[in-house]
Amino acid sequence: MFPYSEASWSVVDGAMFIGWGTILPGVTTLIAAAICLAVLVIGQRSEAAKTKGFDK
Amino acid sequence: MKNILAFAFMIPTFYFFGWWVYWGFPTGLPGAPGPAGISGIEYANAIAWGWGESAQYMGPNIADQASGVFFGAFALFAATTASIMSGAVIERIQTVGFIILAVVLGSFAWVVAAAWGWHADGWLVTQFGVHDFGAAGLVHAVAGFFALGVLINLGPRIGKFNADGSANHIPGHNMPLTITGLMLIIVGFFGFLMACVIVPGEAWSWFADKPSTIYGTPITLSALSFNILMAVAGGIIGAWLLTRDPFWMMSGALAGIISTASGLDIYFPAHAFIIAFSAGLILKPCADWLENRGIDDAVGAVTVHGTIGLYGVVMLGIWAGGYPALQGAAGEAPTISLVGQIVGAIVFFLCGFVPGYIVSYILKIFGMLRIPHGAEIAGMDLVKVPAAGYPEWGGDAPVTPAHPAE
Repeated sequence: MFPYSEASWSVVDGAMFIGWGTILPGVTTLIAAAICLAVLVIGQRSEAAKTKGFDK
Repeated sequence: MKNILAFAFMIPTFYFFGWWVYWGFPTGLPGAPGPAGISGIEYANAIAWGWGESAQYMGPNIADQASGVFFGAFALFAATTASIMSGAVIERIQTVGFIILAVVLGSFAWVVAAAWGWHADGWLVTQFGVHDFGAAGLVHAVAGFFALGVLINLGPRIGKFNADGSANHIPGHNMPLTITGLMLIIVGFFGFLMACVIVPGEAWSWFADKPSTIYGTPITLSALSFNILMAVAGGIIGAWLLTRDPFWMMSGALAGIISTASGLDIYFPAHAFIIAFSAGLILKPCADWLENRGIDDAVGAVTVHGTIGLYGVVMLGIWAGGYPALQGAAGEAPTISLVGQIVGAIVFFLCGFVPGYIVSYILKIFGMLRIPHGAEIAGMDLVKVPAAGYPEWGGDAPVTPAHPAE
């Protein structure tokens, strides 16, 4: 939803992104950070499994 | 060679009639003027032809510092659409047939989509609140699905598919150069997207003192910097998780930008990252799905630009409902909605696929689409280009004939 009480661009004088004034920015930041962490964990596991195959 | 020629033909044809189409038909046929008063056939006749009184806006004019710049930005978008198609059809298309397709796409098909979905008088904008700031739909999806229409008639490269329907991977001959090219596209995206910002104080500006989108809604270069960077990162990470392939990772970067392009002006950066990550994740499965249906898209252009472009258009409808799509207030101006963005996505798909399929079908009938079998086996470099791309491999270097004895 539009982050100002009146849905008009003429009243916008600051942040205008989706979710401004709600918990959405914080939630998305948390999810984005979690994605980075999870991908690293998955990546480490799969790469470790692959590299073991060459260690004979 | 195709890309060089496509660019060279795109610029003059966009000058001859593409620019006129953009201004003439935002409200659709028959080209009536729209509410903003800057559209319709009469208006286009007055500013976009290279002859008569109109020519004053189509050449050097001390009182007009903006028309050529605005035209130039659009002409480069036109060239971009042709370039998107170019990759999909490599190694088996005729040069002139390709250029005809490029002109239809770059100087007509996407221009119609831009008139409808980008222009302030565009019927998609005024009636459905379509918002596509960075042209995910009206450039990328139109070009991607135009390419799909062409690929259906063009057919796969020799050796791409086996008798049992399985597909062979035909790798490019130089992965580092491929990745460098993809990185350059990312660099170019900053210019491409930031050129979508209407600077203040010029003839075409919405405002004297602040930048705006083409819809007259506010935007900052800061917003673009935040969101483009986060989208590139999200797309790369998503593609890496699934493929570990540098080609798809850089394609994921493109997908990241394209999936967020419609709302780069209003997304929060972490939000853009998540959407881009999801686009990077679905990229390769979507490309595989297409390949499993016998479509040989050599560079994944249909998926990266077409499918992900539409994904981005619809995503904005999910998240940005209630935002005024034009300068002004809700009620006076249409608002963004999921239904409106879906309608926009369908129209963008049709603007690309239908002309791509029909024109390539006509070219096929006239024998102007695909090169002969023997020439394809010999290879396009040898057949079409009187220069050695890889002289270190030896082969038949061209010989300049000696002057006859006088």
